[in-house]
Amino acid sequence: MSRLFILSIFLLCSVSVGAQSWPSAQWRQALAPASPAIAELERYAFVPRDDVTREGVRTDALLVIRDGEIVYERYAGPGAADRVHATWSISKSLLATVMGVAYGEGRFALEDAAADYFQPLDAHRDIRVEDLLHWASGLDWEKDYEYAPLNSSVVAMLYTRGRQDMASYAASHRRAHAPGERFRYSSGDSNLLAAALRNMVGLHEYPDYPWQALFNPLGIDRAVWETDASGTFVASSYAYLTARDLARVGLLMQRDGQWQGRQWLPQAWVALNRTPFAPSQDVPGEPAAGAHWWLNSNAAWPHAPRSTMAALGHWGQALYVLPEQRLVIVRYADDRDASFSHDALLQRLLAAFAPEGGQ
Amino acid sequence: MSTGKRAWVALSLLLSLAAATWLWHERTQLLAFPDILSAYSAKEYCSCRYVMQNSVEYCQSYIRQYLPLSSLSEDSGQRRVLASGLGRSNTAAWVGPRQGCRLIPGSDG
Repeated sequence: MSRLFILSIFLLCSVSVGAQSWPSAQWRQALAPASPAIAELERYAFVPRDDVTREGVRTDALLVIRDGEIVYERYAGPGAADRVHATWSISKSLLATVMGVAYGEGRFALEDAAADYFQPLDAHRDIRVEDLLHWASGLDWEKDYEYAPLNSSVVAMLYTRGRQDMASYAASHRRAHAPGERFRYSSGDSNLLAAALRNMVGLHEYPDYPWQALFNPLGIDRAVWETDASGTFVASSYAYLTARDLARVGLLMQRDGQWQGRQWLPQAWVALNRTPFAPSQDVPGEPAAGAHWWLNSNAAWPHAPRSTMAALGHWGQALYVLPEQRLVIVRYADDRDASFSHDALLQRLLAAFAPEGGQ
Repeated sequence: MSTGKRAWVALSLLLSLAAATWLWHERTQLLAFPDILSAYSAKEYCSCRYVMQNSVEYCQSYIRQYLPLSSLSEDSGQRRVLASGLGRSNTAAWVGPRQGCRLIPGSDG
């Protein structure tokens, strides 16, 4: 009886915000009934796993939010609703979202020299905060993860020469181009931003800032964000969230930076995230880079709308935001080969869950 | 020395010089390289176990690389992981519910 009472209060609260549904402590569920399109989606995403060969598409979690409610959720392997998962480079977009709150609080301007907030960048005083957001510092960064480990900057940063102070390691790279001139995907640029954030918000607030600015207000209560030995958040790689919690960040972006009817991120910040970096050369088959988010503005994923934005991570991690379809999708995975295709997954997701089609 | 022999000596001198130049040029990378395997394994195994809370069997498979480790041991009470391979050892430890795991300074590298 009391449970029913609590449930009705809970439902009233979630409805009272207006026509839009927002998650409170839990997401509301409106699970889609079984359909041929969902069966086809599962045939693609949930292949029987072989943990010895580790071949093929290996989805750990797939969560679909439509209009702010869970319409589909499935886990496999180590995935579970109450378990955090490595997001790898999705962490970069999470950092950008945390920085959006700091931006709204007036803690920095886009054209500020990053060196104003991180002294080891003094040798590169012309790198602006905006250049780091566009992965366009111009620093000579070698990005290959696994195929050329000897010269990989990211491997050295995470595991050997850079691991005590990753941002200082990134700052020690020589210049390859003028800042702001061209896109060059760099985990170093992301960790430079994370280090700059320390002096933007102050030493005292910094260790709690992602929680205070983003996680707590959105009701994300299970986040882990690892730091290097100097205390800088490893913004390039090491945030861990449950799929349901990561989807909250997706909903914030889907709704133009609003949360529970309040403008939590400045609209100008979301617009920056959604604007392809003009001078960038698109890598064939890869989405365009916005400010620390990926954009399908170049139709790299032909079956998905061009307004699709995404946060992407190593081994198949993905947070897709489709504002026009009012969809947010989280995929966690452990893909060890190149079998998985974002476009193939999005095509099947749209067939199953796009409001105007599929069902 | 015959002309043919002299050519061989010159060629091998040239090759040795090229190799030495390359070794010198890549010296920092080469010295750090053997640490990658054990540092990667210690850190990612620690996060797999104590952040993502997966089983020992799953995490051993999760960190498996082409090159095998010579040893991997964990102290689950202290939440510390020691990995050894390619002649180097590295330790990672869980530092807190929000901070997760990190490599411990003082181990190699």
